[in-house]
Amino acid sequence: MFGKNAFKTKRLILLSLVLLAGCQSTKDEVSIRSENIEFSSKQSAAVTLSHRPAAENPINAAKREGVKPAKVSIPAIGVEAAVQHLGTTKAGAMAVPDDINEVSWFEPGYRPGQNGRAVIAGHVDGLDGPAIFWNLTQLKEGDKIIVEGEGEQLTFQVYAMESVPLEQADVSSVFGYTSSPELVLITCSGVYSHSMGTREERLFVYASHIEE
Amino acid sequence: MKKVFALIAVAFALVFTMVSGVYAADTAKVRVVHASPDAPAVDVYVNGELTLENVAFKANSGYLDVPAGTHDVEVFANGSEYAEGEGVLRADLAVEAGKAYTVAAANTVDALEFVVAEDSMEVSEGKAKVRVGHLSPDAPAVDVGVIDGDALFSGAEFPGITDYAEVDAGTYDLEIRLPDGTQVLPLEGTELAAGTVYSIFAVNNADALEVIALVDYESAGSPGGMPTTGLGTPDTQQSSWLLMVGGLILVVGASGFVWKKRIQN
Repeated sequence: MFGKNAFKTKRLILLSLVLLAGCQSTKDEVSIRSENIEFSSKQSAAVTLSHRPAAENPINAAKREGVKPAKVSIPAIGVEAAVQHLGTTKAGAMAVPDDINEVSWFEPGYRPGQNGRAVIAGHVDGLDGPAIFWNLTQLKEGDKIIVEGEGEQLTFQVYAMESVPLEQADVSSVFGYTSSPELVLITCSGVYSHSMGTREERLFVYASHIEE
Repeated sequence: MKKVFALIAVAFALVFTMVSGVYAADTAKVRVVHASPDAPAVDVYVNGELTLENVAFKANSGYLDVPAGTHDVEVFANGSEYAEGEGVLRADLAVEAGKAYTVAAANTVDALEFVVAEDSMEVSEGKAKVRVGHLSPDAPAVDVGVIDGDALFSGAEFPGITDYAEVDAGTYDLEIRLPDGTQVLPLEGTELAAGTVYSIFAVNNADALEVIALVDYESAGSPGGMPTTGLGTPDTQQSSWLLMVGGLILVVGASGFVWKKRIQN
């Protein structure tokens, strides 16, 4: 029953499926660049040693205050951006700047340099093309992210990157507590979904604070 | 036809199994504390794998993400060769997803033991939470409380970690004292910050008693959803509709072709 014609039929059906898939999710440069970017260093065997002079009362030295960030720089991809302090949108999602060349720190969350994951988000593209986090997918393990604020300069080092379907992105983890200071950068990734009104995935870059 | 369906199934499976692998939700947080005053620095193996290296007395690992389940935790003197069952201390540690734990290696080196406690990851707004651990092998039972005031914790004994007490945030003149009121260690001007959970462990021998203070959790806000960080590519909207129409025509056409073939045969 399956002759040469049947084989052609299969190919036709497959081809049409591919085209149908294309209609919901149009591939573009952002989605192509965010394919297969996941990496994660093995959790470091870092032991928290006393990193500051012992205070008279050790309980008062247990916390880290962190800073309110004013500027973020990522030398590896030539990013320098002013950091806005924003909270949530009316719908409750993390707010982002209207200006696609600026980024936002989620102010109700952890401060950079405080124990926990401080989160900074920026656009990957705007109506006319690339935005401030266009090249975030190019980051490699070990690249540095510099955060400046309140007269201090903090250095973070990239240790993991992942692109996750929006509905699977875990807010409690990305914005969660860690026992050392971390920084998470977020931008959009994956294909644009017209039904969702946004790209289907989010790119997360995880970095840990290092002393420099 | 079966083969065609199999191919379609594979295509769909590929589309729908793009699952994030880096940060699965089914992990626990575990922190290891070296609280044995006369033990050397140690290496900690979890399920036979070197996980922490050169942990010295009073050092802690910070929270590590560990898969939920039961893990074989074994402690070796720093630098010794791993051999299963040959460590100075070994235990099965059961951890649940979404919970945090402190695992302290306590007591003197010849009587090393694990003291395990579940850590709190929540605190009421404007409050601080605190607990104490008595990890000084030769110290008697103690109270921890406000100088010339009430005890927050009474009769803490080695080896043990108390439950948490939730208190108003603020500065307290605390002390570790014997139940008869004799001061053992002053902790004046202790700042207990709002939204913060503390563990205060008394360690070392009684004649050199000291505390290590750890933060178990700090609260912070989190949003209801991820940011929308791309303005999209509206110019592709039109072409995608054309693609869909084309795809539909092809599907209809192809299935009609199959029908025809089947009827002919």
